Formats: sequence, C-alpha cells, structure tokens
Amino acid sequence: MEEHSCGIGLRFEHIDRILKEQPNIPWLEVLSDNYLNPDSVQQDYLLSIAELYPLSLHGVGMSIGSVDPFNEDYFSLLKALIDRVNPQRVSDHLCWTAVHGRVTHDLIPLPYTDETIRYVAGRIREAQERLEREIVIENVSSYLQYKQSVMTEWEFFTAVVEEADCGLLLDVNNIYVSAMNHNFDPLDYLHAIPTRRVRQIHLAGYEDRGTHLLDTHGNHVTEPVWDLYAQAVKQLGNIPTLIEWDNDVPELEILLAEADKAGSIQLEHAA
Amino acid sequence: MNTPPESLKQLQTHFSEAVFSDQRGLIAESVTQQGALSAEQRVGIYRNSVHGILWQYLASLYPVCNQLVGEQFFEGFSDLFIDQHPPTTPFLADYGDGFAAFMREHEAFAKIRWINQVAELEWARHQAWHATNQVVSDFSLLGTLTEEQQLSAQFQLPDSMWVLHSPYAVHQVWLVHQPEDYGGKIPLEEIQLQQDDYIIVWRSERQLQQVQINEQQWQFLSAVRQNKSLAELSEQFQEQVGVLLASAIQHGWIISFRHY
Repeated sequence: MEEHSCGIGLRFEHIDRILKEQPNIPWLEVLSDNYLNPDSVQQDYLLSIAELYPLSLHGVGMSIGSVDPFNEDYFSLLKALIDRVNPQRVSDHLCWTAVHGRVTHDLIPLPYTDETIRYVAGRIREAQERLEREIVIENVSSYLQYKQSVMTEWEFFTAVVEEADCGLLLDVNNIYVSAMNHNFDPLDYLHAIPTRRVRQIHLAGYEDRGTHLLDTHGNHVTEPVWDLYAQAVKQLGNIPTLIEWDNDVPELEILLAEADKAGSIQLEHAA
Repeated sequence: MNTPPESLKQLQTHFSEAVFSDQRGLIAESVTQQGALSAEQRVGIYRNSVHGILWQYLASLYPVCNQLVGEQFFEGFSDLFIDQHPPTTPFLADYGDGFAAFMREHEAFAKIRWINQVAELEWARHQAWHATNQVVSDFSLLGTLTEEQQLSAQFQLPDSMWVLHSPYAVHQVWLVHQPEDYGGKIPLEEIQLQQDDYIIVWRSERQLQQVQINEQQWQFLSAVRQNKSLAELSEQFQEQVGVLLASAIQHGWIISFRHY
C-alpha cells in the first residue's frame, strides 16, 4: 500500500507493544492531559514514543469556552510538554469543560452568538500567546441547542477560527452525530468549512441510542461517516487523519486497519 | 481585557448545577425543544455522560472495590461521590482522593469496613504510579562518613512509597481479585479477614510494586518516614537495625540519605 497520512490515537494499553514492535504508523495523537507531569513514569513513556513517531497533542483541559480564568498550572505544564516533544499540532475543543472550579472532563457546547465568538476567539488568541504557537480547534458533538443561538454551528465554528486566527480540526464523526441529532445536512457543514484552516481530521465511532446518536469513541467508524469522510477528502485533499478510539479499546491491529481504510479513501478520493 | 458575557456565565452556572446537582430546570429553560427528547432529557444526556466518564475512571482506579460491591452498586455509589465531590482540576489523575473516606462515612459500608481499606490500598497504588521519578543515592558513600556523620544520617523512602497498616487482610483480598493466576491463590471466603496486614506500595522504574511486610519492618519504615536519624533508629531497633536497614536498601524501600 502507498504511504498515507492516517494515524491513530496512542492508548496506554498499546504503549509497551508499540515501543517493542515499532509498527509502521505515520504519526500518533496523544491525550496530552495524561502526560503533563514532568519526571513522571507517564511522561517517560511518552518521551520514549516521541523518539520513534511524530506526535500531535490533543487535550480537553484548556476549557477554551469557559468563563473561568485559564488554569495557570495546566498551561505551564502543557507548554513544557510541547517544548519537550515538539508536536506537529496542539489541539483542543470548541466547548467548555469547567466552570466555578468544577471540572466535567466532558465537552459541553457553547451558544452560537456574536458575543460568544468574540469572547472565545479572544481566549484562543490568549492560549496561542501562552503556548507561543498555533493551536488547532475541534468541533464537538452535541445533543442540545440553546435558545440564544442565532446562527448555525458551522457559521459559529468558522467565525471563531477566523477571528482567532487558529487552525481547525475537523471531526467528521462529530459533524455526522450533530447533523443527525439536530436534523441538518452534514454536507452543508462540510462545504462551509474554511479549507485553508483545516490542519487535521478525526474519525471515530458513535452509538445509536434510538432517540439520538452518542459520540462514544468506542466502536468502528460507521459507513455514513466513511462516506462523509470521502466527501471531506475530495474537498480538502489529504489532510492528516486520525482514528480515535477511547472506550473498549481494541487490539492495535484493529486501530491500524481503520487507519489503513482511511488511507485508502485518501488515495482514492484526493484530488 | 476579555470579559466573559454575563449570559454565558449564567448558562454555564445553570449547566453545572444540572451536571453535578441534577437540577436541570434552569438550564432546560435555555434549551430548544426538538424531536422526541424533552429539553430536560437532552440536558440529562450530558449529566449521564459526565457521570459516565468519571464513574468509569473511578472503576479503573478502584477495580477490586468495583468487583467486591458489584458494578451496579459501584456506579450508583460513584454518582453520589461525583455529586458531592466533583473534580476540581483539569488533571483527571488527581481525582478520586477521598473515595475511601466517603465509603467509610456511608452506612452501606458500616458492616463491611474492610472494603474501604481495600480502597485505600488501591488509591495508594494509583498515587505510587503517578509519583515523581527520583535518583537513587550511592549507598557505598555511607561507608566513607565519620561515625558521627553516620549516626546523624537520615534516610528517605521513595516519594511513591505508601506504608499501610490495616486490621484486615487487604493484601490477600486484593490478590484474589487479580486476573493473573498464581500459586496459592485462595477463594475470598477462605480468607480470614480480621488479621493485621502490613503492606508497602511503591514504584520502581516502570514497575508498580506491592508487598506484605512484617510488623517490625513496618515500624522501621514508619520511623524512617518520621526522619529519625540512624542513632535514633539504632536505639529503637537495637541489634536489628543493621538487618532492617540493609534489607530496606536492597529492596529499594530506601533510596537516599543525607547527613549533618
């Protein structure tokens, strides 16, 4: 098979095997929040991995959309980790995860308003200044919409990344999940994305709960999401793509097979 | 100055109340009615998701407790804990301290106190894994000190080390619930639960270690933790001090020393 740019998320269950066998993987994405402590065994493992593979750092801890001040410790540890592993990309989500000092460790959506755009874009700019580099912001799945929203999610997403002058991480699965939950056409979302800002794509599996789709990251990528990914590749070209699988993590071979499938779609559909 | 909008402050406050106090009414008023689910049900998806993430995390920290009380009870008990003790930092590995104490205070555990002792052991393992790496001293340098310097020497346990004493046989209970088979593994019902147990947990390089020790070793390591000098240790442990110290250094239970 020709080379492609499809990586997998590094999961702790696979670290020893990856270090020992050094399989051919174009790059790995790391859940940065789990490896922030310097001089820890976790970070030791990551530094060993960083010697073998290009890395991207992906977190949930910035809480970009929160009304709370940024967590100083979090940013200083993240900056130190960035300096140590020199990642290709550093990403977090267009959402909030904590407020009034209570941390959900989950991705809660924002209302799509002009004042939220100004506020969140300002926060992203501040994060970029603190980290002294571009950060990449990802769209999240959602299960509700706020009455105060005055625009579509894609209009909001586009306006935020343009005003913040940051990168964009396009989660194709999240587009599909939100489209089904809120009854919009996922292609409308895809076509509105500012192509020049897309740095990375995420693919993952959801679960159909009957009344809604739930973004579980615990299964294979579904066929409709593969189809949407093919459309994204046609539109965007070969953007580095990642298979996310966080729950019921399978054997490494299954993750690598999913990455190869994404690679085949890249080779078939990219212009 | 990037000031957050007042409406966003209010929305996040109400959302947080729904997630950690199950008061969904106020945030539901801000949510659009659509499809088969009510606004409160849509908010409930997030409460369930947050609790699910944290419950699964607690189950990974306390796997033996999870097995002992059953997954269903563990999930319900975790819900109570999460509402009363929500995470306060973005570092998930910080979360879960106090779970054993929360068990101790809960009436469901009044007659099975030994389970919260298992929880304390599991928290010790978690903390030991995440402790900071340390450099091991060259103990041959002890022999180059004057007698006065040697007697003033104080020894350090690894930061990762937890020295535990339980009135219950928690080490055996923990072993029985490991997936690996080993010689001498006995069923839980055959364990005599009420017996003193002395356990140490620490990390050596990338290996988590957990061993039973005897009462004298436990007293010795506890005294070392209290920064007692070699002179004070000699007085307390008399002729045994040499064996206790050499054994502790050999096993990696003591990793450094300082003298005055």
